[in-house]
Amino acid sequence: MRYVLLPTLVLIALFIFYKEANTNPLPEPATANPQSVTEENNLLGLPPVPIPANNPQTPAKIELGNKLFHDKRFSVDGTVSCAKCHNESHAFTDGLPVAVGHHGLTGTRNAPTVLNAAFNQTQFWDGREPDLEGQSKQPPVNPVEGGLANHEPILEITRTDPYYQTAFQSVFGVNGKELTIDHVSKAIASFERTLVSGNSAFDRYYFKGQTNAMTAAQVRGFQLFIGQGRCVSCHTIEQDHALFSDSRFHNIGIGINQIQQDIPRLTKAFLEAKNKGGEVDVMVLTDKKSSELGRFAVTNELSQIGAFKTPTLRNVELTAPYMHDGSLKTLKEVMVHYNNGGVSKADEQVNDFLSGGIRPLNLTDPQLDDLVAFMKALTSSKYAVPTPTQAAN
Amino acid sequence: MSTYQKITMVLCLAFAATGSAMADEFTDADLQRWQQQFMGVVSEGRELWTSPKLGGNGVACAQCHPKAANTHPETYPKFQKQLGKVIPLWQMINWCLKNPLEGQPLAADDPKMTALQAYVTYERRGVKLEPGKH
Amino acid sequence: MNTMNNSRRNFIKTAGTLAIGSTLPISLVELAFAEGSQNFTFAYISDAHIQHIKDNRFVRNWDRGLIRAVAETNLLTPKPDFVMFGGDLAQLGSKPELDHGAQILSALHGNVHYVMGEHDYYLDLGEYWEKLFGPQYYSFGHKGVHFVVLNSIKTYDDWTFKRWPTAEQRMQEMAILDNPNGSPFMVGEEQRLWLKNDLDKVNKDTPVVVFSHSPLQKIYKGWNFWTDDADQVQALLKPFKKVSVIYGHVHQIQYNQIGNISFNSVMATAWPWPYPQSYAQAEQYLPKLTVPMNRADPFFDRDATGWQFINLANGNADLNFTLYNNTSRVVRYNEKQKRPEDVVYQDEKARIVPQTHY
Repeated sequence: MRYVLLPTLVLIALFIFYKEANTNPLPEPATANPQSVTEENNLLGLPPVPIPANNPQTPAKIELGNKLFHDKRFSVDGTVSCAKCHNESHAFTDGLPVAVGHHGLTGTRNAPTVLNAAFNQTQFWDGREPDLEGQSKQPPVNPVEGGLANHEPILEITRTDPYYQTAFQSVFGVNGKELTIDHVSKAIASFERTLVSGNSAFDRYYFKGQTNAMTAAQVRGFQLFIGQGRCVSCHTIEQDHALFSDSRFHNIGIGINQIQQDIPRLTKAFLEAKNKGGEVDVMVLTDKKSSELGRFAVTNELSQIGAFKTPTLRNVELTAPYMHDGSLKTLKEVMVHYNNGGVSKADEQVNDFLSGGIRPLNLTDPQLDDLVAFMKALTSSKYAVPTPTQAAN
Repeated sequence: MSTYQKITMVLCLAFAATGSAMADEFTDADLQRWQQQFMGVVSEGRELWTSPKLGGNGVACAQCHPKAANTHPETYPKFQKQLGKVIPLWQMINWCLKNPLEGQPLAADDPKMTALQAYVTYERRGVKLEPGKH
Repeated sequence: MNTMNNSRRNFIKTAGTLAIGSTLPISLVELAFAEGSQNFTFAYISDAHIQHIKDNRFVRNWDRGLIRAVAETNLLTPKPDFVMFGGDLAQLGSKPELDHGAQILSALHGNVHYVMGEHDYYLDLGEYWEKLFGPQYYSFGHKGVHFVVLNSIKTYDDWTFKRWPTAEQRMQEMAILDNPNGSPFMVGEEQRLWLKNDLDKVNKDTPVVVFSHSPLQKIYKGWNFWTDDADQVQALLKPFKKVSVIYGHVHQIQYNQIGNISFNSVMATAWPWPYPQSYAQAEQYLPKLTVPMNRADPFFDRDATGWQFINLANGNADLNFTLYNNTSRVVRYNEKQKRPEDVVYQDEKARIVPQTHY
């Protein structure tokens, strides 16, 4: 019974807050100004944004989160804000293979876009945090990201900076020692929940029936996406919305293929270190090989060796390079990897732990191009960069 | 006499001649024959269901679905995440043909598709309809 | 460094921290048993159904399932004392299939013992299999436990020797699980006699573990979840204090207790089977003790498949199922209730949702 009760309560709570959040600030439809129409369209193809019961959205909180998100002081050398790796000009990524932290230190994983992260059922590539609140606490204290020893320096700033003092007081009613890292993370998460974006060519084609919204190549690509390409099974779409992620973890042969010989040694050493108090985020972001263990590092399950979370495909055109390690530069390379059945180069050996479902697809080169074209139909209008031809039109 | 009247008269004569029942009364012979016709298609479906030649890799439907169990035809149409939408049974059969069986899909009105659906549904006779259920 | 870790821990609650304590893998479990002997682990892989297409092509899904089980088994620490393969290595018993399967299994570290399945047997009645893996039935002792391996998938001589024009057709008929032209499995008189003699030499306090391909109990005859002379075999095992029967064939989790005998099935690495109750047109006898698995999701080629490692805990078999796309499960012998029990799911209310089988 408890398995049912808890999710039900959460759902009810979410529903209540969603209703609240939506009844108050929504613009009047009759007098809608162009801005609000854009906002509404921007959500085409998305489900309602889940808002946790204990962290309702308010404009002031969102504004505070925005400030915190861009504050570089929350790092050991004063250069690393959230926005450093989640930069709006790169669709909230950094355009780099792996994230670069303080003093130019590099981690092991590609910074994912914050766009639509609000819909993720777990955060980070290995899902080690359940929500955005939990996620936002980790990078500042990771040795290769923010590099802080603990959260104290952040709290010192937020408790003394006049802007923050006033803002935290008005948003959460706290000051001084009452102000904890939980308040900081809640504000950041609230801001991130506003970074949702649908309304791509695909959304207009599929959910609005605008048959000319996608090009012929994109339509062919979509058919392959739900057919021979088998993409849709993990990058899910639904009857009236699409998140392009099943929120599950899959070993698709990225990264793990290259360290196959080391797996017996790595899994054993990792579990021993973890059992002695080693922390997962530190261990996986500072050691490239341990990073490739993927979801196993979080759950200790042998069946999740080398498995990483299915990312959304929305705005994927703007978030190169690809995969959890940023190892593939272009969407075409990604298609080739899948077409080969989980190896980036045809003569590579696939790892023994490969997820079911990954297999050679026998797609032709023009078909791979169609799939790439379809990926470009997933860019939200709001973030679309007009191509020269479109601009000319 | 109009054409309509002619037809009616011919039909009346025909019924009178054969002593047959009215249109709303099927005879036992009718019912038996039709059942036979149906069961013929069911057994064609069973043949296809167990055939290594239906797909492309020698795998048969029955390998995973003995007696068509766990195919739950009574729940279609329903949402299938393999295709990301609500689909009728034949589209799911085609998904299986293309994926686990690594073969070619069948047209919706292909007699083989009809036979497969006849078999699957026959094995679930008597089970109540639960469209959409997972 | 310590201070840093401590202060970090005050703030960071990782999902990993939650996992410690609840789902530690065998590699970190202290095997705290009462006695030194009769306490050890072995791994169990079964029902790979390696299927030849032609030339050097095999059905990829089944290959991948076995390859993955072998790789994961090799990661177990402490290393299991031996590995069992529970039968149906091949789909149609051919040399290419058995050779290809044997080659994949050759990557296993340590000793492997083999059980005969019907898909291995009915082409040449086990001739080539014997060349690769040894006798069809045998026994061995290990750390105070008596292990018996039976070939439980034989059937009536008329069916085997007279009914079919070719060996290939005989194999194909038996390979269809729900074939009305099939025939019920049995251990047969010859092996039952051998078993009686074998067990006569064993002290009745010695734990006995029997490996068979088909269940040595009667669940559903239509799909041969059944052994025709199960009752006679059970009678031979009755005098022993602790008996476990571990079987493959059913491609799903089943467990039961009949008198002194605990029954446990193991998973297939190839594909899952529906529970017989999901076939609406026939009566079946799935043990009431068994909490069924969920339905499989056909997209994930490895869903509802897996392998297991078995703790022999004071002579009782505890099964730890590693399921590739499903929550792992543990079925452990409950000393108080004197029966196997899922450590999480026992009654209707605690079952995995959705648990409806169609």
